[in-house]
Amino acid sequence: MNFKHKYFFLFPGLFVLIGILIFPIIFVVRLSLSGWNSYNPGLDYIGLENYIRLFTDDPRFWESFFRLSFLSVTTVILQYVIGFALAHMVWKDIKFKRFFRVLFLVPMMTTPVIMTVIWRTFFHESLGPVNDLLSVFGVAPKWLTDPVIAKFTVIIVEVWQWTPFMFLLLLAGLLSLPKEPFLAAAIDGASPVRKFIYVTFPLMAPISIGAIIIRLIEASKIMDTVYVLTSGGPGTSTETSSFYIFIKGLREFQMGYAASMSFTYLIIMIISLTIIAKVLTKVLLKE
Amino acid sequence: MDLVANNLSYKPDDQYHLNEVSFNFKEGNLYTILGRTLSGKTTLLKTIAGLLTPDSGEIEFDGKNFLKIPVWERNVAMVYQQFINYPHLNVFENIAFPLKQRKIDQSIIKEKVMDALKSVGLLGYENRKIQELSGGQQQRVSLARSLVKNAKILLLDEPLVNLDYKLREQLREEFKNLFSKGLADETILIYSTTDPRETMELNGEVIVLDEGKVLQVGPAKEIFENPNSLKVAEISNDPPMNIIEAKISDNQIRFEGIDVEAPQHLSKLTEDGLKIGLRSSDIELNENGHEFEVELAEISGSETLLHLKRGDTKIIVSIEEVLNFKIHDKVKINFKIDKAYAFHADGKLASSPFGGLNG
Repeated sequence: MNFKHKYFFLFPGLFVLIGILIFPIIFVVRLSLSGWNSYNPGLDYIGLENYIRLFTDDPRFWESFFRLSFLSVTTVILQYVIGFALAHMVWKDIKFKRFFRVLFLVPMMTTPVIMTVIWRTFFHESLGPVNDLLSVFGVAPKWLTDPVIAKFTVIIVEVWQWTPFMFLLLLAGLLSLPKEPFLAAAIDGASPVRKFIYVTFPLMAPISIGAIIIRLIEASKIMDTVYVLTSGGPGTSTETSSFYIFIKGLREFQMGYAASMSFTYLIIMIISLTIIAKVLTKVLLKE
Repeated sequence: MDLVANNLSYKPDDQYHLNEVSFNFKEGNLYTILGRTLSGKTTLLKTIAGLLTPDSGEIEFDGKNFLKIPVWERNVAMVYQQFINYPHLNVFENIAFPLKQRKIDQSIIKEKVMDALKSVGLLGYENRKIQELSGGQQQRVSLARSLVKNAKILLLDEPLVNLDYKLREQLREEFKNLFSKGLADETILIYSTTDPRETMELNGEVIVLDEGKVLQVGPAKEIFENPNSLKVAEISNDPPMNIIEAKISDNQIRFEGIDVEAPQHLSKLTEDGLKIGLRSSDIELNENGHEFEVELAEISGSETLLHLKRGDTKIIVSIEEVLNFKIHDKVKINFKIDKAYAFHADGKLASSPFGGLNG
């Protein structure tokens, strides 16, 4: 089979790919080498100046990056544990199984921004219902204005919003497992707990790795939750990389500098996610 | 330590999977559960293992109520007809799995696993992945896994059925050796199968099961020689026993215009609706015999199975050589009538050549 025109049929896909993926990346790289800002828009070439500034003179970016790492790893671990527990629960034959399966998916069907507005109302320090209830115990945590607690508020909202996704992936994984090893394990003398440790969990390892990586990629983009909930505050205590890049690029219009941050961020994410995937594969699959 | 069951019943839908099954299994013995597919064999084994809870009835082992003990504490081992192993573990880890569930020293585990590997002929395979093994080898791994824990009750659920012909022969032979020497005297071995030949070769106590009901219990030889009913005769013979509706009068067995002189053990049966049973191997080709028409001739291994017809009577003849026949050929056959059985109209055994009932 050797059609002369076979490459012709590649064009539509290739065109879209170039248009939405390759061109923007190349453009960002070019943009990061320019001094484009609100006074001086344009692709004037200034060399690596932006990168030098980023690596030597901008602790705020690196703080926001480590904060992001903490937030995304914590939320994903929590989502994994809770999602696995819920999936395991409705995987077994329990009453109202279908009802629970749908119920656990409800947060995913809501609009994140709207739900975050609702959460902000919930956690409002003087008017919100959470502190209203807690006032019974005489405490009133500053959910949104304490630098430490605010981070955990972000984590709570993120976990609530995205655990269903983890739940869905893990439940699909559990349902696709072969039944036979479980029969064998029971007869081989494994109690339910040991059965989970020695059979369910290892069999779920490949799916777990996939789910964790997908969620890590998603979680590294935390933006809307922070924007609506705390606007990065108090101070910069909940500011994440993407939020900081957004501020620099679209509020202060330092397009060139924001582009250099974006590109750096992309490279770091690719490297670290590759390492995480390798480590997870090694630990969970023993390969 | 005996395994005793009383009136086990299990009826998950409108059909009985187990219907008032009772037995008394004694330690150190081999029991074969013989039955067709869907007769309740697997259900029975699963009930003993604890994977199923019967609707009613009791199982006692060593004087204790077995049904109250969860599966993982029952100390039974089971080999399934599908080759069930742990796909995420290698051969060694698979066999070590039951031992790791108890607190046993690593070095002892290693020694026991190696012993088990040796007894199933898989030494040298311990680091292989399960998926890299052939079906027969996978089944050996699950057999080794069930042997290694020294369970008091060993259940084998049609372990050979999914293997090809040659492997089946080979493993069956190995099973026989394992069972006769390798197992401790206190083990109760329960083996389920659809294959009468396997039953005869294993030569243990046989329980014939059909539609969840126990039809007959006895040593393999007894089941073979004196099946207590038509159904047992069908289940315990492959190809199934030929059943011919005949009438006996004046010392002659008459059917389809054929008169055969009745042997002594049948001569007194003159009732109506009598059925004569004759194994396919007890009919032979003979120039001076009775004429039948060939409906189908199948060659299986080194024997030929002839499906013959005369009037409304259909019979199967097995011949120990490979012969070619065409459909609608006429053949002449002779009955070894002194090997014939007789059953009453209700299916109960009336007389057998081996002296069952009023022989």
